[in-house]
Amino acid sequence: MSITVYLPLLIAALFAVVGPILARRLPPGSATWMLSVGAVVLAAATAAALALLALPLAAQLPVLARQGGWSAPVLAAHDPVRPPIAVTALVALVGLGLATGRGLIGEVAALRRSYRLAADLPAAGQLTIVDTGGPDAFVVPGRPGRIVVSPSVLRALDGRQRRALLAHERAHLINRHHLHLLATELAATANPLLRSVHRASRLSCERWADEAAAAVAGRSGAAAALARAGQLGAAVPVRPRLAAAVTDVELRLSALSRPAPRPISSWRLIVPLLLLVVCGLALGNAAAEAHALLELAQKR
Amino acid sequence: MSAKRASGDLESEVLAALWAAAGPLTAGEVLQALDDPDLAYNTVQTILTRLHAKGAVGRERTGRAHTYTPVLDDAGLVAHRMRAALDRGSDHAAVLSHFLGTLSADERSALSRLLGPAGRKASR
Repeated sequence: MSITVYLPLLIAALFAVVGPILARRLPPGSATWMLSVGAVVLAAATAAALALLALPLAAQLPVLARQGGWSAPVLAAHDPVRPPIAVTALVALVGLGLATGRGLIGEVAALRRSYRLAADLPAAGQLTIVDTGGPDAFVVPGRPGRIVVSPSVLRALDGRQRRALLAHERAHLINRHHLHLLATELAATANPLLRSVHRASRLSCERWADEAAAAVAGRSGAAAALARAGQLGAAVPVRPRLAAAVTDVELRLSALSRPAPRPISSWRLIVPLLLLVVCGLALGNAAAEAHALLELAQKR
Repeated sequence: MSAKRASGDLESEVLAALWAAAGPLTAGEVLQALDDPDLAYNTVQTILTRLHAKGAVGRERTGRAHTYTPVLDDAGLVAHRMRAALDRGSDHAAVLSHFLGTLSADERSALSRLLGPAGRKASR
């Protein structure tokens, strides 16, 4: 098997570096979609590449060889993938596949709990005000989703800032940011190289919601709300889980200090698109080679 | 943009304003607290009436005007369920997205720089 089978791995590594950089230059809506689609496609492509690397070796296993009618000695003689690499690919494929499956089950269960909780929360509009024991503002996805805010946060903000906060949280629900984060999270489980893409997606979703806040409260209103909320978070010790949530406040504030991003012309998406096309061609090529090898080993 | 807001969104904002206030508010005071030039007194009045009909706010007659307060409906129970869900959801960060969080020392100083003197005072 030629070098092409390794291209998806290389492209995933490249995307892990280029994707987040590009995302910061795009309007957050386009950036979020670019990251989600890129991550999912590349996670699938790397899994396919691992499968192709492991295939000739796996086909030599007595069970599979008998099933497919392949000659193990012929496969062993012509397999261009050296056994240590094939074994590594097989182990990685099985391990990552199991982890991704478990991750998917966990996320779906969490989503269902969220839907149940959202249905049970009393709300005016979509807002539920609950004292969770600390300053808190977040969304609970559901049909409809809910925005949960603690009274201490509302008291700390003025009218314009409250409007910004509510618009921000509403944007999370309307644009289904939880599904984008779920997609990139699972992609990063399937291919750990893509971890940086998940982090970038988190920032991108927050920026997306910040733009919605800026649309109703002005850029300075949205920035002031974010800054005040950030200070509340700092003033009160919160659970460590929350601490991980907003680490990009500075980046978001500086994005709000610049003019609203203009819609992009599509040529700026050409780089990630080309990467995906090359990835597809490479996989097609590698699959054809693997197919030829299996044909060769077919016992008549 | 703000003119296009749905009435549900306005309900949220009015309720948030009532919670933010120290005591009961009249419709006029709510309008002031909302600080939104696009809103009319009548709109606020309508929303308050609707919230009252839903049982989300309490209403009292003081002098010539009505005053409104947010209603704490089984808040203890909701808070308990909420906390349970938050604790259980800790390993699934994707579901709940947060506006707030703790800041690193660097971020906090950057924030103070951006906010200027007014922000520093507010943060104390």
